[in-house]
Order: sequence, then C-alpha cells, then structure tokens
Amino acid sequence: MTTISEQPEVQQKKRPFRTILFILVGLAVGLALGWLLLTWLMPPSYHGQVINAQTPVTNFTLTGSGGEPVDLIDFRGKVVLLYYGYTFCPDVCPATMVELRTAVQELGSKAKDVQVLMISLDPERDTPEVLEKYVTHFDPSFIGLTGIEEEIIAASAPLGIFYEREKGSAASGYLINHTATVMALDKRGQLRLLYPFGTTGEDIAADLRHLIRE
Amino acid sequence: MKSLITTASERKRPFFPQIALVWRIIFGTLFVITLLLGGFTTLKPVVVLPRITLAPGFNLVDQTGAQISNEQVRGGIALYNFTYSGCIDDCPQTTPLMAEVQARVAQLETGGIPVKLVTISIDPEHDTVEQLAAYADAHNADPDIWRFATGSPMQIKSVIGGGFSTYYTEKEGKIKFDPAFMLVDGNGILRAEYRTAVPDTAIILRDINLLVEEAHNSTGPQKLAYEAAHLFLCYPD
Repeated sequence: MTTISEQPEVQQKKRPFRTILFILVGLAVGLALGWLLLTWLMPPSYHGQVINAQTPVTNFTLTGSGGEPVDLIDFRGKVVLLYYGYTFCPDVCPATMVELRTAVQELGSKAKDVQVLMISLDPERDTPEVLEKYVTHFDPSFIGLTGIEEEIIAASAPLGIFYEREKGSAASGYLINHTATVMALDKRGQLRLLYPFGTTGEDIAADLRHLIRE
Repeated sequence: MKSLITTASERKRPFFPQIALVWRIIFGTLFVITLLLGGFTTLKPVVVLPRITLAPGFNLVDQTGAQISNEQVRGGIALYNFTYSGCIDDCPQTTPLMAEVQARVAQLETGGIPVKLVTISIDPEHDTVEQLAAYADAHNADPDIWRFATGSPMQIKSVIGGGFSTYYTEKEGKIKFDPAFMLVDGNGILRAEYRTAVPDTAIILRDINLLVEEAHNSTGPQKLAYEAAHLFLCYPD
C-alpha cells in the first residue's frame, strides 16, 4: 500500500520536465509555422532594385533578325530581360551580355521561361543580321532587336534609357554613351527589377527563379 | 483499490493538458506574429512612397544651352513639371509652385543628397534656349537647382507623353495639357505623381523628406523594414 500511495508523487516530480519539453516543442512548432507564414507573406530578397509597376510596360515594335516586326507583347508568359546596347560597344555591353549568358545557363531547364532581348541603340550600324550574329554568339536563345531611330526612342526613353553618340577613335568609329542597366519584366510584362552594370549572372539567376515561379 | 484506480487515471490525464499547451503556444505565436504584422501596417513605423515605375530617359538642352539628361539628374531627387513659356492667361500655372518649392528646398537638410527641379517645355518649337533663359530669369530660377529643358518635338513627346504618361496637344496654335508634377528618386524611379496645377507644397516637401530618409536609412538591417513597408503599402496618408 505504501508503494502505491507514493506513485502520484513520482508522477508529480516528472511533470515539470514533461511540461518544459512540451513547451519547447510547442515553441519550436509555433516558430516554424510563424516562419513559414512570414516567408509566404514576405517577398523574396531580390538582388536587383525592386520596382512595383502596376501596369505592363507599354508595347513597342522593333525589327527582328529576319526583318520581321517583333512586339514586346509577343513575349508575354515569359520573364524578359531587357538590355540596351550596341554591337560596336567596346566594354560594357559584352561584359553585360556575358553575365546574362551566365544567368540563363544557371537556370538550366528553366531557361526556356526566360527571354533575353538586346535592343540596339545604334540602328545605323546594327542591321538585323549583324545584331543576330552578335547576340547568338553569347547564347543561341538571345534575340537582338533594332529599328529606325524613332522606334528605338519609343522603346528606350520610357524605360529610363539615355543614349548619345560620342566621337570615338579612328578604329572604333563613333561610340554611344548609354544607360547600362538590365531590366527584368515578369510574365505579365510588368517591370519588376533593375540591375545596375556589374550585377553578376548568378545574382540575376537567383532573382529570375522567383519570377519564373510566379 | 480506490487509490490504484486514481493513480491510473492520473497517469493518462496529463497528456491532454500538455497537447492543449502545444496548441496554445502555436496559436499564441501565430497570434503574436499577426499582431506584429497588423501593428506594422497600422502604426506604419516606416513610411515609404510607392515605386511606381521607371522615369523616362532623356537627352535635352537646358536654358544655358548645356546638355541635360536623366543620367545627370540620377543620384539626386528630382521634381519635374511640364509647361511652356507662353503659358500665360487661360493656362494652368505650374511654374509658381516650382518657384516656391525651389525656395523651400534650399532650406532642406538632405545630408548631401541633391534635390533638383526640372521644367520640360511642351512647346519646343517656340521655347528655344534663349526663350527658356528669359523664362527662367523671370522666375528667379537658380541654375544649380532649377533647370529648364527643351529638345525636338519627338524627344519631348517620348519623355512627357511616353515616359511620364502626361497628355498634351496643340490645336489651332493653342496648347492644352494636363498639369502634372513628378517626383523621381536617385535611382531614376518615379515615386510620386501630383496631377493637379496646384498640389500642396507641404505634401511635396514631405515626400522629398521621405525619399531623403529612405536614401539614408534603407541600407543594412534596416533595408528589411523598408522592404516590409513597401510590401504592406505603408504609404503616407
């Protein structure tokens, strides 16, 4: 009888440890759920400058490699990387194009959901053929677009692109100073991210994964 | 026997209160998180202006004949308006407000962040460099703060109409336009639009101050708070 009557006391002594254990488990589960809720609510941490455009970028029409008209809206459903440059560009453009190639290669099979468009700011020298040869040298999926001066302005000015012709050397001919940012448009055609010159392809790829998933 | 039965039931009983405790903690944690998020969106410890879209690129000339481009303005905060020097009588007067902002901006503590004013002419055919210089003088424009820009009609249309989505037209020699002021941050992103001829100067200055604060504070760990403010639309009232 003595042994039986002592059992509740033993149980009482054990309870605090069990209670602590349950509190810890409860806290862990609560925090995990909280974390999941936060990650679901919070936007991904992008490497690019975030822009909350509520409407798609205004459509523009340029000329593709075969001389055919190409519209920006033709790429709805894909994440679009827009870059403005020119094929005679000695430094900034090829360096950026290499990073864009890295970004696309990093994505592997997901790369099919991304389209890189390079828009020429030098339509005088960048014929569709010249441009195609240039962009496909970096990646066969890249598309180069050109057009007449008015079309180029319509496609570049609304997106904050500045450019001007500058005298170069005898070998290079004239140069073009231009804004060297890369823009990422989501599948709905809305401007989402801005990358300054020097952003790595790996960082761009990390952001693109989020945009592709949307 | 009685004590034996009691002991057996006591062995089982603790399990249920403990499970309830787990749920209480889970719901408690979620409640606290919801409370924090609710508090953040209601109390707005960080207030931001929306990142509307990219401001347009341009390459124009100013009232001194010098080049003026969006790349020159980048890095500082810029307030734009669109008008023409012949806008006198039956025409929305936006230049006096720019003059008032110019006077107030000179007194702002921006911690080294330049604040610029840019007036772009919507009548480039008549607003030559000389015409704009006279117009700037008439409004006591300080060329270090306030510049007036003109260019070809096509350039102007692409900037004001295409980039800033602001309507203007010329009919029978008379220009009509929607009065508008645009606030652009140092990254060239449009942060506020004031689509009236007489917006409240105090609101414009408040918004400039918000951009100054953001430029100074949205780095390092505080960047997360600013991103959360953008996410939860913590915009000024």
